[in-house]
Amino acid sequence: MDAFLTGAAEVLAPTTLLYMLMGSIAGIIAAAIPGFTVTMAIVLTLPLTFAMEPLTGISVMLSVYVGGYTGGLISAALLGIPGTPSAVATTFDAFPMARKGEPGRALSLGVWASFFGTIISTIVLIIAAPPLAIFAVKLGPWEYFALIVFALTIVASLVGHSLERGLIAAMIGLAISTIGTDPMMGRPRFDFGLEILAAGLPFLVVLIGIFAISQLISEVEDANAIKKGEKLIEGEIDFKTWAVMREVLMRPVNLLRSSIVGVLIGALPGAGGSIANLVAYDQAKRSSKTPEKFGEGIADGVVASEAGNSATAGGGLIPLIALGIPGSAVDAILMASLMVHGISVGPRLIMDNADLVYGMFLAMAVSSLIMLVVCVLSMRAFLRVAEVLKWVVVPAVLTCCVVGSFALNNRVTDLYLLGFVGLLGYALRALDYPLAPLVLGVILGPIAETNLRRALMTDPDWTLFLTRPVSLLFLVAATASVAWAVRTHLNRRAVDLTGKDPT
Amino acid sequence: MSHAPETTTQPGDIARLISYVALFAVSAGLFVEAAIIPTSRFEVLGAGAFPMMVHGVLMALLALAIIRSLRTIPAQAYAAFPSVALRWARDKRLVIVTFLFLAVYLSVMPLLGYPLATLGFLLVLTATLAPKTPASMAVTVVLALAFSFGLNWLFAEVFNVFLPRGS
Repeated sequence: MDAFLTGAAEVLAPTTLLYMLMGSIAGIIAAAIPGFTVTMAIVLTLPLTFAMEPLTGISVMLSVYVGGYTGGLISAALLGIPGTPSAVATTFDAFPMARKGEPGRALSLGVWASFFGTIISTIVLIIAAPPLAIFAVKLGPWEYFALIVFALTIVASLVGHSLERGLIAAMIGLAISTIGTDPMMGRPRFDFGLEILAAGLPFLVVLIGIFAISQLISEVEDANAIKKGEKLIEGEIDFKTWAVMREVLMRPVNLLRSSIVGVLIGALPGAGGSIANLVAYDQAKRSSKTPEKFGEGIADGVVASEAGNSATAGGGLIPLIALGIPGSAVDAILMASLMVHGISVGPRLIMDNADLVYGMFLAMAVSSLIMLVVCVLSMRAFLRVAEVLKWVVVPAVLTCCVVGSFALNNRVTDLYLLGFVGLLGYALRALDYPLAPLVLGVILGPIAETNLRRALMTDPDWTLFLTRPVSLLFLVAATASVAWAVRTHLNRRAVDLTGKDPT
Repeated sequence: MSHAPETTTQPGDIARLISYVALFAVSAGLFVEAAIIPTSRFEVLGAGAFPMMVHGVLMALLALAIIRSLRTIPAQAYAAFPSVALRWARDKRLVIVTFLFLAVYLSVMPLLGYPLATLGFLLVLTATLAPKTPASMAVTVVLALAFSFGLNWLFAEVFNVFLPRGS
C-alpha cells in the first residue's frame, strides 16, 4: 500500500500532470498526421524525459502512447486515412459514418471506445500481468505461426463483396512483404540490383501509399465538384459527447471482447495494435446479427477497432513489467527510458521498484483520462478539418504524407516507393480490389515467414504444428473461421441469385 | 471500408481481366526468381520457399479469376473497351494531372531540396485544383509557404529531423 501511495503521489503531482497533458496533446496531434506513428512520437519524447524523475518520465511517455493510439482515429474518420497502422480498421466504419454527415459521432465513438479500452486493459494489466506474461513467453514459433494463420483468416471479413479479389489482394500484400532482405538469413530477394528495393518496402510507406495517397487522389476525381469548392463533408456537424458515451456503454460485450483481444495480442511480443484493431473488428463482425452493415458506417465497427487498438497499450506492458521483455518498439523505448535511469527491467522489477510499477499502472489510467478530456474539449476544433475545402486538404495532406514517409528512415528512395505504391493503390481501388486485405498481408507476411522457418529450423518435424496444444487450438480456430467465411459467402451468393434468404 | 456491389459493367470487367493477366505475369516471373534462390544448409526451407508458396497461391487465384472473366465477358465488350477507357481517362483528368505533379515533385526533391520542391508543387497543384479567385490564390500562396518553408523549419528546429536539402 505504501508503494502504491508513493507512486500515486508522484503521478498525481501537478507538474507530472502538466507534462502528461502536454504529452497527450503531442501524441494525439502526431498520430493524427498520416505517416507519423506512435513510435515516432515516443522516440521524439524520450530525450525530453532524461532530466525527469523515472516515474515522471515514464508517465509522460505513457501519455504520448495512449494519446497516440487515439489520435490515429482523427484522420481515419475524417479523411479515410489511418493516422497510424493501428487505425486501419477504424477507417472501415468511421469514415463512411463521417461521410454520411456524422463526423462528430464517428470521432466521439472512437474516443470513448479508446478510453474504455485503455481502462479495461489497465485493469487486466493489474490483475493478470504475471500469469499472462508467463503464458506469452512460453509460445514458440509453432504457436506464433498458427496464430498468424488464424489472423490471416480475417481476410474473409475484409474482402467486401468479392472474395476472389480480396484473396488476391491479401496475397499481393504477402508478396510485397517478401521483397528485400530475407528475414532469417539476410539473403537479398527480388531487389534486381536496385538500391530502392534492397531494404524492402517499409510497411509504413506501403500503408501511406495504399491508403492515404489513393484516398487523397480519389478526392479529386470529380473535377467540377472540386472547382466549385466542395468540402470534405457536407452538411451540419452534430456533436453529442454524452449521448455517444451511452451509445458505447450500450455495447458492453463488444467493448469487453475487443479490449480483451487487444490485451491478449498486445501481450504477445511482435504483435500489437496494427493487428489487434483488425482482429477485434473481425470478431465484432462475426458476432454481429447484422454483419452486412459493417463497412457502411456502423457504430460497432468503430467501437471494436478503437477499443482493440487502445487496449494493446496495457497488453504490451504485461511482458515488459512481468519479465522485462518488450512486446513492441514502443515498449522497447519505455524499457530504454527505465534503463537510462539505472532501473533494471526484469522479473524483479515489481519487487525492487513496486512504487514505480504501481505508478505506471496509475499513469496508464490517468493518461486515458487526460486523453479523454483533451479530445472532448478539442473535438470541435478537429471537426473543423471536415469543413476545409478539398482543394486545400488534398495538397496539404499529400505533403504531410511525403514528410512522414521520409522522416521514417531519412531515405529519399522511400519517396519514390511512396509514389509507386500510391499509384498501385489508386489502380487497385479503381478496379474495386479491397485494400485492407493487402495491408494485412504486408503486416503478417514477415511474422508468418520468420516463425515458419524458425519452427522448422528448431525441429524439421511438420507435425509439431498439430501436436502442440496451443498451436493446434489456433489452427482449429483458423479452420472454423474459414468454414464460417465460406458458409457466409455461399449464403450471400444464394441471396444475390434468388433474392431470398436460404436460412 | 465500403465497396460497390459486384459490378456487371463490362469495361470494368475487362480492366480487371487485364489486371489479372498483368499480375499473373509478374507473379510467375517472381515465382521463377524465387525458385533459383539457393537454399541454406542450416534450414529446411530456404529464402525462396515462402515467396514460392505465396506466388503459387496467387497464380492459382489469378488463373481462376482469368478463366471466370473469360467465360463471363461477352465478345462484343472487347471492341467497346478502348473508347470507354479513353472516356474514363478524360473524366479522371485531375487524377492523372495530380499523379504527374506528384511524380515530378518526388523526382526533383533530391535536387532542389524539400522547401523549394514543395513550394513549387503546392503552388502548381493548389492553383490547378482551386477555383480561380483572388481569395483562393492568396490561400494557395499561404498554404504553399506554410507547408514548405514552415514545415521544414518545424522539423529542423523542433524535431531535429532534416528534410532533403538538395544538391
